[in-house]
Amino acid sequence: MHEFSLVQAMFDQIGTAMRTHDAIAVRRVRVRIGARAGVEPALFRTAYDVYRVGTACAAAPLEIVDASDADELTLDQLELEVP
Amino acid sequence: MCDSCGCGDPKVVPFDVHERILAGNDRVARHNREHFRDHSVVAVNLMGSPGAGKTAILEATARALGGTARLGVLAGDLATDNDATRVRAAGILAESITTGSACHLDAEMVHQGLHRLPWRALDYLFIENVGNLVCPAIYDLGQDVNVVALSVTEGEDKPLKYPTMFHKADLVLVTKADLLPHLPAVSIDAIERNLALVMPRPALLVVSAVTGSGIDRWINWLEGIGRPRPALGTAAAGAGRL
Repeated sequence: MHEFSLVQAMFDQIGTAMRTHDAIAVRRVRVRIGARAGVEPALFRTAYDVYRVGTACAAAPLEIVDASDADELTLDQLELEVP
Repeated sequence: MCDSCGCGDPKVVPFDVHERILAGNDRVARHNREHFRDHSVVAVNLMGSPGAGKTAILEATARALGGTARLGVLAGDLATDNDATRVRAAGILAESITTGSACHLDAEMVHQGLHRLPWRALDYLFIENVGNLVCPAIYDLGQDVNVVALSVTEGEDKPLKYPTMFHKADLVLVTKADLLPHLPAVSIDAIERNLALVMPRPALLVVSAVTGSGIDRWINWLEGIGRPRPALGTAAAGAGRL
């Protein structure tokens, strides 16, 4: 199961985005997953739920969108809480 | 001001990221690929189930080339140095990448592995991935080609069960062909038909590391990497057995 390492990579991206915007928390996370991306959405969600505990994403729901591009696996949009 | 969810909270700002989650891995993979190109090293990502015969193929490749090409292997496994030890005995430079609990290799692990292997002097670098038909498929390592080993004992429907892996393959090596006389229910034609359903440009070679059958065609295929390969791509119409 590689979903955990993908979530880890996504948290690195989220950290970069938070620093760019001086954000203090994340309110929502949206990812796009294609049918052939090699990622099981339910497992990705489970890994996210494990990983986000005690992080800036603790209260941020994860929205998973079916991507029309089958190979797509992207961090699409964040809603960031700023001071 | 949040204008995406309508909550009206002035402290929430939407931020469009639109970045591949594997962007970090992709950057390191590009870096590896540039290294390989700069030193004219052909990099082969060799994938397949545990026990598909990946290591045996490497041993047979070394025997067939008989020292005419410089071969190196980065062997990925969760534990043990066994595969690297085996291919070293066959005369191949080899280092292990021990992944612990990770089910795949990523570009950074390969990059670190390169620091321990005199890879610049090689003609071919084989990256023997962790035995797994799922996770390794989505990580670019910087390789030139993806080769998947599928043994005749694994079942004809593996390409249909693990389509992402076989979709990414440039070549499928159907291994352990010497066992076919003992497997009356296994049909190479059925494997070929199933591969044609999932591979954009189906290409397979039926080989046996034990008898050496088909290894000459595998060597020809390897030697064609980086040069025009008319046999590939045009092979699709005939379901691509080379």
